[in-house]
Amino acid sequence: MLKNNLLPLGTRDEFGSRASEKQHIISVIQEVFNNRGFSKISTPLLEKQAVFEPYKLGNYQMYRLLDQEGDTIVLRPDMTLPIARFLSATNISLPQKFSYVGDIFRISRRLSGSYNELTQAGIELVGYSSIKAEYECLVLINQLSSQLLDEPVEIELGIADFAKSVLSTLTSDDELQDEIADALYNKQVPKYEELIEQFKEKSEYKFLLNWPRLFGKPEVIFNQLEEYKLPDEVETRISELKNAVAWIKQTIPEQTVSIDLSSRAPQKYYTGLTFKGFSKAGAGYLFSGGRYDKLLANFQDVSESAVGMGIDIDLITDLVVGSMPKVNKKLIYFEDSQWEKAESELSKTPNATLSLSDNLKDAKEEAEKMNAELVDMTEGETID
Amino acid sequence: MKLLTENRIKIALTKGRVEKQVIPVLEEAGINCDQIRNKQRRLIFDSETQPFEFILAKGPDVTTFLERGAADIGIVGSDILTEHQSSQYELLDLDIGKCQFVLASTKDFDPNAAKRKIIGTKYPLITKRYFDRLGQDVEIIKIEGSVELAPLTGLADAIVDITETGTTIKENNLKIFDYLDKVSTRLVVNRMALKQHPKEIFDFVDRIKAVVEENKEERV
Repeated sequence: MLKNNLLPLGTRDEFGSRASEKQHIISVIQEVFNNRGFSKISTPLLEKQAVFEPYKLGNYQMYRLLDQEGDTIVLRPDMTLPIARFLSATNISLPQKFSYVGDIFRISRRLSGSYNELTQAGIELVGYSSIKAEYECLVLINQLSSQLLDEPVEIELGIADFAKSVLSTLTSDDELQDEIADALYNKQVPKYEELIEQFKEKSEYKFLLNWPRLFGKPEVIFNQLEEYKLPDEVETRISELKNAVAWIKQTIPEQTVSIDLSSRAPQKYYTGLTFKGFSKAGAGYLFSGGRYDKLLANFQDVSESAVGMGIDIDLITDLVVGSMPKVNKKLIYFEDSQWEKAESELSKTPNATLSLSDNLKDAKEEAEKMNAELVDMTEGETID
Repeated sequence: MKLLTENRIKIALTKGRVEKQVIPVLEEAGINCDQIRNKQRRLIFDSETQPFEFILAKGPDVTTFLERGAADIGIVGSDILTEHQSSQYELLDLDIGKCQFVLASTKDFDPNAAKRKIIGTKYPLITKRYFDRLGQDVEIIKIEGSVELAPLTGLADAIVDITETGTTIKENNLKIFDYLDKVSTRLVVNRMALKQHPKEIFDFVDRIKAVVEENKEERV
């Protein structure tokens, strides 16, 4: 017989403590967004495939289907491009600060243990060219992580086109630049070292050799950079990074910060400062964002300054649920006539629920099944 | 006393041939492998005195453990990393387990015959990429082991497989028609783990690197 109760690959049901904790995290994030005066935006799960043309999927694929006109539509793999599409198609006046929470879909490798439906929250600050837009994101990472997580989150700063600006001074061969950048970003060190061998005679070679390890504490990395002679253009980008680090140290001194000059920007449409947030225990980045001033140019003639950030709700939920102490559940048994009293007991008892059993024997069984402590109101028992 | 769990590094080692070749390198780097040498049927080794925990797994599973963050470091062949499209950091070529991908078949195989070839292989992705580069569309049959049987039994026209010395191929009366990518054992690190424990991981990598370079020099 064909089974009709099986889930599609890469999907899951969420229930119990994970589901409620996830909902709680979302509501905390939404409240913070509201309090900062962001306006909420929600876009459809389905979009035309063309919307995601600039989007690099990496090891993922998109869920595709056909609409009535025969056009290919997809389940959105990302939240930023639909907002860019929305802005280019409407006359919304800018600047605007948007916030969103929703699900995205990315088909990962079969049977790899990854889920294909992911919940993401985020913000898009559109029409702001000032570095203050980046700083508002950094403050948000700091505030949200301290509200949601027990352990500290480290902010990692980078520069989207840093590799390109260094490599273009070494060679005009675009293909070679891309090949070296790829090997650097993926830290395929044996391949990378083979590729840079041809620059052995150049003064930058020492820098190139050390490049895959140029991440970590800002003081240490900036110190190392002093040893190398880098092109002026690159020095300018580094001083921008230094300013951002100095700003964090001054404004949110308790926030740990690191830099990475060897990592790829989250998407190729990023143009400026990038930032990510991770904790010691998480399996991936909890926060990720940066500046993308040319994003809207994919949909219209005019570019618009923008900074955005995504928050991985599922990863945060995993961390919170993983560190949650075991709760002692309570089950309140009462007579029909005691409903009011039971309600008052319920309202003042944490982790309690009303027993809906008709007699004490059933209530005892109910408590045993849900591994809860039974509070019998019929004998006048109350909880301390 | 056991060292702190927080900064312990979990290392997934490919069991079998890779394991045998890597253990001497690890030992030369000052890493005690007595537990693995006397492993019996155990697969997980938590050292009392070192900040490492070793697990033994099959090559493709090493990439899965790494991908999911269930291991911080993996030691595995580059053939498997390519075939499984690993997206983790490949920090070191251990310069052991060296072999090469080849296209092989019976002597009468004609690589230029006008037909859609049938190719037997354990590595469908690598095979597809090779023939894509040649501008040829081929039918690929996935085989789990003893790939040499495919052309001998008429299951496939030719095979794409790895060989160290070519002996197995010759002994089965097969001939090599082309040489593809070279293969060796690599040290791979989970992306997030490198950010979370850079000091411990680079320390481990650098110790191994010193041994690998020394061995290379000795051979020269």
